Amino acid sequence: MSLFQLNPLTVKKINRFKSIRRGYYSFIIFVILVLLSCFAEVLVNSRALLVSYEGSLYFPTYGAIIPGKTLGLDYEYETNYRDLQKILKEKGNGFVVMPPIPFDPYENDLRDGEFPPFAPSFEEGHYLGTDTIARDVAARLVYGFRTAIFFSLILLVVSYLIGVSIGAAMGYFGGLFDLLFQRIIEIWSNIPFLYVIMIISSIMIPNFFTLIAIVLLFGWIQMTWYMRTVTYKEKAREYVMAARALGASNARVIFNHILPNTVSIIITFIPFSVASGIIALTSLDYLGFGLPAPTPSWGELLSQGSNNLESIWIVSSVIVAMTIILVMVTFIGEAIREAFDPKKHTTYE
Amino acid sequence: MTQYFIRRLLLIVPTFIGITILVFVITRFVPGGPIERMIAEAQQASMQSGGMTQSSGNGIGAATLDQDQIKQLEEYYGFDKPVLVSYWDWLVKVVHFDLGVSTRYSDPVWDTIKERLPISAFYGILTMLITYFISIPLGYMKAVRHNSHFDHVSSIVVFIGYAIPSYVVGIILLVVFASNLEWFPMGGFYGDEFEDMDSKLEQVADVFYHAALPLLAYVAGSFAVMTFMMKNSLMDNLAADYVRTAIAKGIPFKKAITRHAMRNSLIPIATHFGNNISVIIGGSFLIEKIFNIDGLGLLGYESIVERDYPIVLGVLVISAILQLFGNILSDICVAAVDPRVQFR
Repeated sequence: MSLFQLNPLTVKKINRFKSIRRGYYSFIIFVILVLLSCFAEVLVNSRALLVSYEGSLYFPTYGAIIPGKTLGLDYEYETNYRDLQKILKEKGNGFVVMPPIPFDPYENDLRDGEFPPFAPSFEEGHYLGTDTIARDVAARLVYGFRTAIFFSLILLVVSYLIGVSIGAAMGYFGGLFDLLFQRIIEIWSNIPFLYVIMIISSIMIPNFFTLIAIVLLFGWIQMTWYMRTVTYKEKAREYVMAARALGASNARVIFNHILPNTVSIIITFIPFSVASGIIALTSLDYLGFGLPAPTPSWGELLSQGSNNLESIWIVSSVIVAMTIILVMVTFIGEAIREAFDPKKHTTYE
Repeated sequence: MTQYFIRRLLLIVPTFIGITILVFVITRFVPGGPIERMIAEAQQASMQSGGMTQSSGNGIGAATLDQDQIKQLEEYYGFDKPVLVSYWDWLVKVVHFDLGVSTRYSDPVWDTIKERLPISAFYGILTMLITYFISIPLGYMKAVRHNSHFDHVSSIVVFIGYAIPSYVVGIILLVVFASNLEWFPMGGFYGDEFEDMDSKLEQVADVFYHAALPLLAYVAGSFAVMTFMMKNSLMDNLAADYVRTAIAKGIPFKKAITRHAMRNSLIPIATHFGNNISVIIGGSFLIEKIFNIDGLGLLGYESIVERDYPIVLGVLVISAILQLFGNILSDICVAAVDPRVQFR
């Protein structure tokens, strides 16, 4: 398929993208972060990476719960590896390797005689402190990032699929189909969507996928409208006429001729859609109409943080994380736009 | 052209009906509506008072609200009729400016909204003015001094404003200037001593003292896009042949901009006018919640949380109408500034 063959023009675009340093490096860092977040269990977890106990090795990260009895403790429920680490150190009959952040995003690390939130401390392992019910902020940040990024990516893929197919059909076939969807979009785009999403999700308490579906209800419009315009323009060009004169079917013209010519424009939209997906989820979570309660999320941290401003570490860590990610995504977007659709201006001296 | 706008105005009707029927139906088929709320509240009340006087814990709910009372309530809210019938009743009332009565405050919804609307409008209009006031000159300067030191430095600010959503900017401002430095108040539309202040001037000053941070947050959300747009369109126009011709004929560069390029560059800014209205309505949920401003957004947010559906629908009606007219207004602006635009 010509879509994935790198023609010289695409190579040129990619090279131009690489030459825009901040965008290219942001892209690399961002991809690494997303890949790392897929293996967040290895990096941020209350389960140990490796336990060596009396000569045998255990890898508790993935897989079934290892009860305390197995590792020489006196309980049947899941081993507390942080305690085990101290115990084994004293006894000297084994060792425990913990992940860099040895906390689960759901666990409450309460202490006697003190009330959370606890300030950041390296001794306790809470590098960014804890939230109001003693959950580790760093752990919730990492898992919250994973939720946000996958929410945003799935939203992007589905909304682009819908947008590209409806939009291309609208632009290519025109006629009644085009008119019908034009009216639908005209009505749909006038809905105050954030408010309606809030109403819907206050009522049905969404999970990850239903929330995507709710946001998708309003998210498909932009791409559809854009795709319609682009297809409409491309359809009028000579290569399409030539292809049709040669007897190409509608499907062939759309998939082999028009779509490959619109891909580069679609790509320039991707980073901005990623950012807006993250922002949408975070705003909804902030308002309390996003994912249900214990799910780690940036919006929930933001709202906790802004309600407990004296515990400055909560709000500042999530704001810093959000700023870094969004600025990086925007850097990428800017660089891609620059590389794929360069604008040269005449300037006067 | 006139035909186009007439069609747009007529389209408001089906759009409005579509939006409201959607939400009306949703609010109807949900557990936890106003009646369930009342029953729950009555239960709580009886639990508290009943627990004190007598130990009969059983039969709550039924003891406080019997079937007849529930029926009366259902009749009162129109829940006893089929959805479409009660939707029609509601719509007829809305056309007569009767949005019903809040289930939480027992005040007429329209009065509550009328109270809040000026507060949101205050922020909306000021935001728009400040945004234009910053973006147009800034975009102009950035275009004229493209690639200069000034351009690069100001780009950073614009860029951050572009990347970070306005409510996060609001939280940052709150953390830094209200919580830590204590330069500005934590929120509210005016302070506690507002009623006791001696002069109007002092009151106005108090309102602006409270408005500083939220306004900054609002402006941060909208000025970046506008500045980019101004800069890019001015640069496009500067590169256009007619400006080159004007300069070649000997017009000073400044005059070429003000007389020729600037006029055409303002067209996209005018297009953006209507979008602003919806941005202000949409964004206000978050910023009004952060700064605890008693505007339309906070009212809508609270009514959803409290399941006060008459207000939920009321706010929806108002914001949908504002947005619908805003979009048409924006099209009229475009047609007014750009004679080439032909709407069909």
